[in-house]
Amino acid sequence: MPSDVRSILVRSARDEARRDGSRTIEAEHVLLALARRDETAAARLLAEAGLTEGAIRDALNREWEQSLATAGIAVRIGLLPEATPDPDRHPQIGESTKLLLKRAMDAPPKIGGGGLGPMRMLVGILDTERGRVARAFTAAGVDRAALRARAVTALAAGTR
Amino acid sequence: MTELVDPEDPAAGLAAVVALRRLADRLEDSQVERAMRAGWSWSDVAEVLGVTRQAVHKKHARRLVAAGVALRRR
Repeated sequence: MPSDVRSILVRSARDEARRDGSRTIEAEHVLLALARRDETAAARLLAEAGLTEGAIRDALNREWEQSLATAGIAVRIGLLPEATPDPDRHPQIGESTKLLLKRAMDAPPKIGGGGLGPMRMLVGILDTERGRVARAFTAAGVDRAALRARAVTALAAGTR
Repeated sequence: MTELVDPEDPAAGLAAVVALRRLADRLEDSQVERAMRAGWSWSDVAEVLGVTRQAVHKKHARRLVAAGVALRRR
């Protein structure tokens, strides 16, 4: 399966957003799409940090529960009533995804013929301490800064 | 408890806003689906939600048809 920005973002991440009932593709959907690409160095790097696809889903749900608890709401996400997703929904690029793409493009080395590959997208995702993904990493006890450093090193070494 | 649930922390408070929106969206999708499966009309659902029938229909009809829910006309 090709691992360029088009297939990751436009196909896999959009599938994740649709499944999530979201009207927009957000950074968390891109992260899940990256983790699902077992064959990529980015997915391996995530897995080495304990962030398999399932672990990321669990961490995102824990972040959701913790943030609801701030508002005094105690829920188990696993017990929430399910809604059937709309298979025809066409989620658009959300703000957190625009930000991660900008950060990915800006990350050294200067983007060249290699284009916007999975590792560069991962750097873009890890390059913020704000938002649901960063908070999910905290909830999961993952050192985001250390993981980012490893992704930056891999990118500098020529990993796409 | 971690710092994520500190009510003095604006980052946690803002994250709670996002979490509540996600919760409201999930509840709306699931409860509209339940009501329509139970034979409610679009007008009844719209009245409870405080929106127009057109709004709730536009937002949910395609999804519920795809989910195989038998929808009433009105």
